[in-house]
Amino acid sequence: MIEAKEVSLIYPDGTKALKNINLKINPGELVYITGPSGSGKTSLLKLLIGMEYTSEGELKVLNETMDKNNERKIRKLRKRIGPVFQEFKLIDGRTALENVMMGMRFLGIAPGKMKEDAENALKRVGLEHKIHTLVEHLSWGEAQRVAIARAVARKPVLILADEPTGNLDHENAINILELLTSFKDQDTAVIITTHATHLIDGVKDATFVRVNSGEITVIRSEVG
Amino acid sequence: MKTFLYNIGYFLSEAMRTIRSNPLSNFFSVIGTGLILFLLGIVLVGWSVGDQIVMALEQEAEISVYLTNPEDQVKIDELTLQLQKLEGVLEVRSVGKEQAKEQMEKLLGNESEILGLFDENPFEAFLEVRINLGQMEEVLNKLQNVNGVEYVRDNREVLEQMKQIADGLKLIGVFIILAVGMTTLIIISHMIRQGIYNNREQINTLRLLGAPGTFIGFPFVLAGTLMTVIGGAIAIGFLLVIINSGYQQLSGALPFIPLPVQEWLQARISSMVLTVSAFLGVMGSLFGLASMRNDKS
Ligand SMILES: Nc1ncnc2c1ncn2[C@@H]1O[C@H](COP(=O)(O)OP(=O)(O)OP(=O)(O)O)[C@@H](O)[C@H]1O
Ligand SMILES: [Mg+2]
Repeated sequence: MIEAKEVSLIYPDGTKALKNINLKINPGELVYITGPSGSGKTSLLKLLIGMEYTSEGELKVLNETMDKNNERKIRKLRKRIGPVFQEFKLIDGRTALENVMMGMRFLGIAPGKMKEDAENALKRVGLEHKIHTLVEHLSWGEAQRVAIARAVARKPVLILADEPTGNLDHENAINILELLTSFKDQDTAVIITTHATHLIDGVKDATFVRVNSGEITVIRSEVG
Repeated sequence: MKTFLYNIGYFLSEAMRTIRSNPLSNFFSVIGTGLILFLLGIVLVGWSVGDQIVMALEQEAEISVYLTNPEDQVKIDELTLQLQKLEGVLEVRSVGKEQAKEQMEKLLGNESEILGLFDENPFEAFLEVRINLGQMEEVLNKLQNVNGVEYVRDNREVLEQMKQIADGLKLIGVFIILAVGMTTLIIISHMIRQGIYNNREQINTLRLLGAPGTFIGFPFVLAGTLMTVIGGAIAIGFLLVIINSGYQQLSGALPFIPLPVQEWLQARISSMVLTVSAFLGVMGSLFGLASMRNDKS
């Protein structure tokens, strides 16, 4: 599903954000990416969705080479990814439902089915009572749930959530992580970045990618 | 295609949102576009009318023959018969002194009162000769040499002048149309760039979600086209009023100008301005879109 060989990312200003990454992620895997602020977690996700391109090495996501020359295919590939951005990127002036549907309109789903799926996704994240609320009127935690609903309503095979626990209290953070991991199934991999390592200490049946100054260590936990 | 059909409603509401997102600026853009397209319409009216007049004059190959001796009725009858026999002449009709005056009165319409200034009828009898268009040149030569013919008046000179005026107008028209086209394109593409800029975050998000460029861009093209067509509709409204009042004034004062049928002209101008505005709208929007394309995703 994801295969990185000796991947490095150097930003135009010379910052070496990722160094010689080797990583393989399979369908149905749950992956936690942890590491201190500035270590390169977001950078790694950016590579996976094609917001940045590798400076060295080879990266394949869903069998596509993540390379500048492959932009068209990467554009298409994104339809199969459900991203939850660190800052949500919800679209103001629209309701929760409209935001969720916005991520589905170009997937070739018939309008009736699309609305139904979007409503179900919002129910799944516990927001059925806020379906018609404008997103700018939602609380932080609610907006986060809309962002998750938008990502999963597309029925992606890869869910990427960047720092979904940031700014949330302990209880809500746990809830969000549980919600996200509940979307993992045999085809769908879920990748979550977080610095709140205490929240995932006891987690079994997951892969932990520890990022430190752009270098990674991979630990696969035992099946619990 | 499926995506397009499923999203027609969405595209329209997004286009309206774009238009409403910057109401004042877009309002003035529409008004500006309307004024410019109005100018274009005026040029098109000028062309249509000019063409019509030239065409009417070309068809009217009627020649007036003035006589050396317009008081001599016997001579007139003789000449009438003689001219009728010439090759290329279709019909000769003699117009008497009184008839000539009546004709002029009709021609002048409301202004015919000035004829009252004359004590006597200032007109003289003449012959109206209808000829075969193709043989104009020869017939004219022959007529000039007939005994008893003082001089021959044809409308070739008027026709030439009209043609020159029409050609001149066309040249000016071409420049105006070019200017109008460029200006509209600039206004619309700027409007679209503005809209895209205002929506850059949304566009960026859609890109990250994998939306195709056409899906993202279409609402903007729709918005630009809608606004240009609204501008065009405003222009058409003014043009119809102008044409209407123009016809009322001209038909009273200058009844001899062969104007095109008013309804025909209005329909033609409306459809032309509408087509041009839709075309310019689409093009302007596409330019605006293309110029923003190179942003990073
Ligand atoms: N566009 C950019 N240009 C230059 N340097 C950048 C850019 N984006 C990130 N960096 C740098 O790359 C390094 C890794 O940043 P990244 O955002 O991946 O960290 P992170 O692990 O996600 O941090 P956080 O936990 O605070 O979100 C940092 O040193 C950061 O300053
Ligand atoms: Mg980050």
